Amino acid sequence: MSHSMTAQAPGLSSYLKSLRSTPVEASIEHFIALLKRRQIRNSRPCALATTQLLIQVVKEFKGKDADKLLRRIRDVGRRLIAAQPREMVVGNIVRRVLGLIREIKDDNADGDSNAVNSDTGSPLPHHDSFNRPQLASSISTFMRHGALPPMESASGPESLADSGELPHRPALFSSHTSYAPLGTSLFGLFSQPDTPSNTSTPTGRHSPIGKHTMTASALERIGESTILKRTNIKAEVLEGMNELQDELEQSDDQIAANALDHIHSNEIILTHTASTSVQKFLLAAAKKRKFTVVHAEAHPNDHDAVHATILTGKKRDAEVISEEAGERWKPLTAAGITVVLIPDSHVFAIMARVNKVILATHSVLANGGLVAAAGARVIASAAKVHRTPVVVVTGVYKLSPVYPFDIDELIEYGDAGNVVPYDDGDFVDKVDVDNPLYDYVPPDLVDLYVTNLGGHAPSYLYRIVADHYHPDDINLSGAVEREGK
Amino acid sequence: MSADPVDTGETPAAPISAPSDAAPPQDAPPTAEKGAPEKPALSGAELKKRAKAEKAAKRAQQKAATDGTSGAPHDSKPVQQEPKQQKKDGKQAPKEPKQGPKEAGQPGMPIPMRRRQSVTLPPPKEKEEVIKQVGLFGHLYGQPKQHSIAAAAKEVHPAILALGLQYSSYVICGSTARCVSMLLAFKKVIESYTTPKGQALARHLTSHHLSPQITYLQACRPISISMGNAIRHLKDLIVKIDPAVSEADAKEHLIDSIDSFIKERITAADELISEEAMRKIAEKGDVILTYASSTIVQTTLLKAHDAGKQFRVIVVDSKPLYEGKALARNLAHHGLQVSYSLISSAAHAMKNVTRIFLGAHAMMSNGRLYSRIGTAAIAMLAHERDIPVAVLCESVKFTDQVALDSIVKNELASPEELLSENERSALVDLLPKEKSSSTDKHEDVMKWWRDEPNLQMLNLLYDVTPAEYISIVITEFGSLPPSSVPVVHRISTNT
Repeated sequence: MSHSMTAQAPGLSSYLKSLRSTPVEASIEHFIALLKRRQIRNSRPCALATTQLLIQVVKEFKGKDADKLLRRIRDVGRRLIAAQPREMVVGNIVRRVLGLIREIKDDNADGDSNAVNSDTGSPLPHHDSFNRPQLASSISTFMRHGALPPMESASGPESLADSGELPHRPALFSSHTSYAPLGTSLFGLFSQPDTPSNTSTPTGRHSPIGKHTMTASALERIGESTILKRTNIKAEVLEGMNELQDELEQSDDQIAANALDHIHSNEIILTHTASTSVQKFLLAAAKKRKFTVVHAEAHPNDHDAVHATILTGKKRDAEVISEEAGERWKPLTAAGITVVLIPDSHVFAIMARVNKVILATHSVLANGGLVAAAGARVIASAAKVHRTPVVVVTGVYKLSPVYPFDIDELIEYGDAGNVVPYDDGDFVDKVDVDNPLYDYVPPDLVDLYVTNLGGHAPSYLYRIVADHYHPDDINLSGAVEREGK
Repeated sequence: MSADPVDTGETPAAPISAPSDAAPPQDAPPTAEKGAPEKPALSGAELKKRAKAEKAAKRAQQKAATDGTSGAPHDSKPVQQEPKQQKKDGKQAPKEPKQGPKEAGQPGMPIPMRRRQSVTLPPPKEKEEVIKQVGLFGHLYGQPKQHSIAAAAKEVHPAILALGLQYSSYVICGSTARCVSMLLAFKKVIESYTTPKGQALARHLTSHHLSPQITYLQACRPISISMGNAIRHLKDLIVKIDPAVSEADAKEHLIDSIDSFIKERITAADELISEEAMRKIAEKGDVILTYASSTIVQTTLLKAHDAGKQFRVIVVDSKPLYEGKALARNLAHHGLQVSYSLISSAAHAMKNVTRIFLGAHAMMSNGRLYSRIGTAAIAMLAHERDIPVAVLCESVKFTDQVALDSIVKNELASPEELLSENERSALVDLLPKEKSSSTDKHEDVMKWWRDEPNLQMLNLLYDVTPAEYISIVITEFGSLPPSSVPVVHRISTNT
């Protein structure tokens, strides 16, 4: 794949440019095609494209019925997810948008009637509940799209009522107990005291711990929004989506703000593959401290990007994403950091001297495990046996509400020609050549996640997942059924 | 079996101390030589020598240019020898990094061959390379590897010159292959030897005839543990030769001994090991994973296949040598079911594996395995999943050295070998304008890497696998736990 070819080939930048001029339905089809052809791939491009596309979808949406908008987004989302289920970020963004609409809808509903409208799937006070949030146990449960399997659709209402309602009740109880002094008095007049987690979601800047303090201001906002009523659902949703867009754009910088907490002078840091997040993280630390970076090159899929990152500071496709001045892209070496390029085979040998491993990720799962570029598993295991801490750097948008059950479902296989060129005919004929693109790294091999919300233990991630996605949206196909009844 | 190496039947005690280093003492031979043919006028002689060497280099380059790639080492040797002969000093001058006909691809070599692109390394480059070291591994940077025969001493035998080039270009690669080829070349060296008047063969052969050869080989690529053991054995034999024996008889004895050494310690040992290892493969359903390439693993798998066992093989490989490719190809040609992946996907390859067979460069006395870089990661993954790991290793590869990690002792290869032709061309269009000066874009890319002050590349050849990852070491003495390595080593050397 030559570079000049990819520059002209359709990709993220050309797609984003085309979005405004193309009708929405054509844009959706176009995006699906790009996803299927892997012309938009990796988390950040997918997230950006999905957000932009959904913004167009909302803009185009006529009418004021929030439920209809929900359904519309969900339908589009399901098509996108079906196009490329392993780009879990697409699903994540769809769910974030759905959560946003639900929240706005409920706020407005509150304005109409102060009644507790739990039957329309009101946002749950789930971050107060001690119950583990209900999540898909495997990717396949939410990868299902289109027609539901007969079994589930037959037993749909009952089973969903069972599984959907049961966790609600204890949750409500616990919320009542915690909010009892407020909820029963003044606040109950205007709003439900159960929205804080959702209101803070779009900005994503507040750590979940700080959410209790959010309550008052959130309620104020809710109070205001009740005045606006449902007049402007679309505008509100678009505003929220713009915030989501900002979050995507800022998350790397927000993550990098933590860098100095994790990197000290004279450390030897091992990292793997080319990642803008990691690059910015290390650059932020390099401003104050001198350390050594050992960069494993992730042959055979990402090595060219790694080489480009080491030499120029950016991946070759990065230029199309951010149009900022080239000044911001400088290689670590220019910041005075010693960079040592190693092949993947050297990981175990060099781990004996490495102080910290910083991994980039493709997506993060709710159990604290992650899906990262192939080779990450070897690195994480080697770090474990050498007692080297493993830090995973990721934006919250990569957090997916999936518990891995069958790991093979998560792994995408790439072009075997990267491993052995096809011109080696007799070899390719007789030997099976494998080229998995991703590795699953179980949570016990990870010591810390650094997200744009701060640092978290892997065991805490499920909670952040619960804060960011509405339980009804986790299984997109199931939610349709529920809405339809 | 344990008494194999005793064929000389002499007392073992004394001479072991002298050549006890696996790597033959590098400084010793030159000083010894200096005594004989050279005057102590150092600086003048050195200048002269350098001038000569440069002249020789120029000549070599011209020759390389005119000959193109045809310059197989055998052809070029006599020409290059000539200027040397005129030289007075027999001192090695391996410091001159010279451009040689490195591409001498030896057709028909059944030994793991590396796809080496025609990379030309002009002389000034290597000097820079020496300056740019990876801090952690500073102790491993020695003299740059010799890639030519231009700077070789005049005593170096043509067969050794050829061999050295094959070593440095990885045409002959792998501990056993290097050991055997060295011994075969030594046979020729000994054949061509005549004892000067007034000297005893036992005294003269080692220091004056063999040492320069070893030094040259060492300069081409650090000698392996097995080679060290073989050299020690050979020196031992030479020292023990009775001065009363005629030269022809002594030489015949030595050549026979080398043959029997190869036969007993390597050929027969391989036979035994592969028999033993084959028995570890189940009749049906095993999935065997191996890393890089080992001749003995290949023999074992082929034998098991011929014996009608049904199993699948996964070959895991790594850049830049891609040794496993040849193994996978050979196995597939013999009808085995083979899959191939790179070390980054090792965790996937490991999924259904039931056994791991590994080759060895050496077994350390503390039970650790010193083998191709990446082996340790494979063994670690297998250990995680409780998959038995078998190391197939002749006792000639056992050493009394110990190692805790892969950093203190290792071999560095040229970092430039890391970037393949494709990877360089992928970077061409990223090249900043001010850096693309010459017409050779690939060279510009390499220069870009080299000139970046804080940028380093590391290309190690070996790593050390902890003993706890190894379930079994299969040697010609039987199957042992790694903790038995020092015992076996004592038995096999101390007879």
